[in-house]
Amino acid sequence: MSKTPHGGTGLDYFALVEEARRLPGAALDRTVRLAVVAEFSTPHLLPLLRALAARAGVLLEIYQADYDSIEAEILDASSGLHAFAPRYVAILPAAEKLKVKFYRSEDRLGFAAQMVARFTWLWAAMNSGVTIIQGNFVQPSERAFGHFELKVPESMGAVVAAVNAGLAAAARAANNVLLCDVDHIAAEIGRASWADEALWSLAKLPCRLDHLPLLAQAVVGIVLAAEGRMIKCLALDLDNTLWGGVIGDDGLAGIALGEFDEGEAFVAFQHFLKDLKNRGIILAVVSKNDMANARLPFQKHPHMVLREDDVAVFIANWDNKADNLRRLQATLNIGFDAIAFIDDNPFERDLVRQFLPDVVVPELPEDPALYIRALNAAHLFETASYSQADRERPKQYRVEAQRELAKVAFTNIEDYLASLGMKIAVERFTPFQVPRIVQLMQRSNQFNLTTQRLGAGAVAALMHDAKCLPLTVTLSDKFGDYGLISVVILRLSEAEIEIESYLMSCRVLKRGVEDFVMNEIFTLAAARGAKRVVGRYLKTAKNAMVENFYQNFGFQKDYEWSNGDSTWSLAPAAYAPRPVFMADSRVTF
Amino acid sequence: MQQDEILARLTEIFRKTFDDDRLTVTHDMTAADVEAWDSLSHINLILAVERAFEIRLTTREVRAMKNVGDFVGLIAKKAA
Repeated sequence: MSKTPHGGTGLDYFALVEEARRLPGAALDRTVRLAVVAEFSTPHLLPLLRALAARAGVLLEIYQADYDSIEAEILDASSGLHAFAPRYVAILPAAEKLKVKFYRSEDRLGFAAQMVARFTWLWAAMNSGVTIIQGNFVQPSERAFGHFELKVPESMGAVVAAVNAGLAAAARAANNVLLCDVDHIAAEIGRASWADEALWSLAKLPCRLDHLPLLAQAVVGIVLAAEGRMIKCLALDLDNTLWGGVIGDDGLAGIALGEFDEGEAFVAFQHFLKDLKNRGIILAVVSKNDMANARLPFQKHPHMVLREDDVAVFIANWDNKADNLRRLQATLNIGFDAIAFIDDNPFERDLVRQFLPDVVVPELPEDPALYIRALNAAHLFETASYSQADRERPKQYRVEAQRELAKVAFTNIEDYLASLGMKIAVERFTPFQVPRIVQLMQRSNQFNLTTQRLGAGAVAALMHDAKCLPLTVTLSDKFGDYGLISVVILRLSEAEIEIESYLMSCRVLKRGVEDFVMNEIFTLAAARGAKRVVGRYLKTAKNAMVENFYQNFGFQKDYEWSNGDSTWSLAPAAYAPRPVFMADSRVTF
Repeated sequence: MQQDEILARLTEIFRKTFDDDRLTVTHDMTAADVEAWDSLSHINLILAVERAFEIRLTTREVRAMKNVGDFVGLIAKKAA
């Protein structure tokens, strides 16, 4: 059975019900609170949600609203839902309910706008720190006008399409609303197979019971992405994965790539991979080849879509792929579970599964024409945000690999850091930074002292909190721009400064960024006459990297709990400022 | 299909659905006799039966069922 939420297999309804019965509970490394409000009956859905989340090591605490009580739960501030204080609220409507309202409506032309307004009203009634997962409507099968349906704006087909489009547009404009495209799930299955009208009338279930796991998987996938559990890198094999044949044997002219035979399928696959790269997924090559052979198509083949500068890390040698994936992981500084390994060879896939069980290894079919479909079916590409930083990330990782090469020329690290010409800026949160701040809080798992994950609304609220100093750190050097790479939230009182949140992108480890920032915190503490600076370390399965963070700066451990959490403090007078290697700095707060 | 064979396979399905390995179904058994047999697990039971015997039950058939005997009769008729 699949251990990850990404496995395309293991989605049998009864198997999941059984799995939910035997959940370990306490052994899971993170708890997430989710409320489910729906226009259909949800008791069958809940065990599936719990089982799928548990596969990713997440314990879901679920608030189950009564059947068809969306308005009552959300609009009444004293409802059970509000008392539960969820991190996520899944609002899942049912097309059957929409149909009833539609048939009774006297204003069919205005119906879509009213329906969208109903949901935006509900969104507004939730605390902005809650992330809403809004389901859309599955297109009903009945068509009173046949194929003329969509030419009639007040037809059901046109109205449901308008409602879904309206929900998507409203969600784009909202900070804290994610979409669950239920209509897409149903369409993938086939809407005729998805729907089960008998089960609706019998038990108010939204689809055939066999398909309910797909809905659960979608909701869990969205929650996990918002929690920072997502694929960040695709590690790609070359021969028979990106092109047909073996470059070392067949030569540049001999590989299948282009408008003949299987070549077309590989071109289409590369287009999809390039699109993933453009949206922020890092592409890496892990190939058993001589380097010169492996690079040749990227440089010279007229039908290659992917070029050398699309690939952040290029590994081609004769070592085993598990070792090469370890190298890749060390270079990128991301978790193994953020890497998906794409290889046509079942032997290599099996080897990687054996030695690196956390790496996600989707099955690939024999026929390259089916690669895209297989990759999609593995549900690897959930994300909870998309920003400028995503578009630039692959390039940044590529630049990072060049930095690593430059490092070799220096005998000591100080000379190397001084040679980088780093420019750092520490400033208060600005409105323009909010999307990136939210994203960094979602994505950072390793260098993260308290793993506080705030939504856009909560981040914006911090900007106006007088007792709070929310800081961002941006960095660049002669190789390129790192962008916004660290978030530090300080809570100020007369006696002390508390470091409430401290997280940093692992791309900038060992640059002295944290030394620079700590110096600034203590300069501020001294200027304010604070008696001490206080910090906390909240242990998770992933942040062992910063376990000794405060100790390394000379903080005293005030207390350690049995779960590994600890609190630390240090007086400004006792702090020894760190040497820094920034060529230029700007501190404004 | 013989009634005995149906009953034996139903016992297997009931044990799995209600997570109870000691269950043995009889013709006159009703939901009142099995603690875990509620409206939620009833739906699971129907899907399990539909899958096992490769049949589809109509809403009316599901609503009309009063005991296990009715189940057996329906299966015998539909899975012929």
